[in-house]
Amino acid sequence: MAIIEVKNLTLTYRVLINKSSSLKELFRDAIKGKARMIDYVALKDISLTVDKSEVVAILGRNGAGKSTLLKVLAGVLPPTKGTSSVTGAIAPMIELGAGFHPEMSGAENVLFYSALMGRNVKEVKGRIDAIGEWAGVSDHMHFPLRTFSSGMVARLAFATATDIQPEVLLVDEVLSVGDADFRLKSKHRLRELISNGAAVVLVTHDMSAVLELATKAVWIEDGLVRMIGNPKEVVASYEAN
Amino acid sequence: MKYAQLIRLLVNRELTLRYKRSVIGIGWSLLNPILTSLVLWYVFSFVFASRLPNGQQFAPYLMAGILLYTFFNQSLMQSAESIANNAGVLTKIFIPPQVFAVSSALAGLINFVIGLLPLALVCFISGQSIAWTLPLVFVIGISLAFLSAGLGLAISIMFIRFDDTRNIVNVLLLILMYLTPVFYPVSIMNPTIQKIIHWNPLTSYLDAFRWAFSNNASPTIFSWIYMAIWSIGALLLGTYVFKKFWPRTVAML
Repeated sequence: MAIIEVKNLTLTYRVLINKSSSLKELFRDAIKGKARMIDYVALKDISLTVDKSEVVAILGRNGAGKSTLLKVLAGVLPPTKGTSSVTGAIAPMIELGAGFHPEMSGAENVLFYSALMGRNVKEVKGRIDAIGEWAGVSDHMHFPLRTFSSGMVARLAFATATDIQPEVLLVDEVLSVGDADFRLKSKHRLRELISNGAAVVLVTHDMSAVLELATKAVWIEDGLVRMIGNPKEVVASYEAN
Repeated sequence: MKYAQLIRLLVNRELTLRYKRSVIGIGWSLLNPILTSLVLWYVFSFVFASRLPNGQQFAPYLMAGILLYTFFNQSLMQSAESIANNAGVLTKIFIPPQVFAVSSALAGLINFVIGLLPLALVCFISGQSIAWTLPLVFVIGISLAFLSAGLGLAISIMFIRFDDTRNIVNVLLLILMYLTPVFYPVSIMNPTIQKIIHWNPLTSYLDAFRWAFSNNASPTIFSWIYMAIWSIGALLLGTYVFKKFWPRTVAML
């Protein structure tokens, strides 16, 4: 059975036409009869499966629905129609360091981030030093995060997210983290997780990464699947477009 | 429960971060109610102290009011804001957003319990003793945490959708404070306002709290039942509103 199974997924947002962002405006518009809703379709009838050790790359222009799809897979957005089922632990690497707090120390942030991802805090406690060392920030682990450089934060987040072998990895544009050395190291770790059976969904504009890592590519345009198949062919048509 | 560890970390973070950069840290939880009470006591004791029913002391009366109202105000606002503030996480990792609201209410409850220490001190100074009904204070505290978390969940949706909700809620909370006998005796008000105060749920919580802590008020059976109705009602309402509107709201974040 596939790890990720998306069937006829449709996602609609309901938006107010003149997008009142205050209650006062909404009230005024409602009295004048101007408050109307429209449904904006972000994803239309998408079907997709990802198996163990498979890497599916999602291509598409900005606003095509790539990140929305990742959010559905992460379980954050409920589908309007269709189903999305993901089996096993997810390591969401959608925005590295989401949930990090500048006033807490590196070690505290590692614990907190792990708890957010649903991991066992007690187990992570024993791993903090190893995580800090892998990220190359051992000396800083007990200082508040605001003293970290942005590259250090990203490295620590990457190290934390990939510290445990997950069943599913959702990756959104985070492969270009840190300096050249670290990029090599992180790609190596990603490959390790994949060969150990992680199912990966990768959103990126970096075509060389797609060709290098992906086993399947999906091209999304305006919320519709335009093309799905062999990465080489999909990338070629996408770039020709 | 799967999220118990996360709640513990969140409560811890909320309690320590608020005062992280100050020297006395969580000591502020002790000092805050004392200082506020001291100012209000100085201002109002001349006016109101003699108007309290026999046997009730003004200083603990006032401080209990401030402690409970601050607890409600802070937990409500924090629960509502915690969800908006953590939008960055909630749109990327699946966590039931209620976890954030519950943690904020729990942090408020812990602050409240810490504040009971200076209240006890003030009771002793004004010649009162702690009542044997003290354990009931915790029941009241938990009920109020339920009320704040429930209402907080319901308004968190509005906080995310409409920018001006925060101001509106702040004004409403201010009105609510004046309609709660925090620093005045109910008897000084005219009958109409007394009726409104009577139906204000916070009055019931406050009466029950003052009585349970140091026998400094006389709640009725009505107070207890009314309190239970509001706590359970708010929790149900909050959960219902949240479940209904969250899927649409999260798409906007």
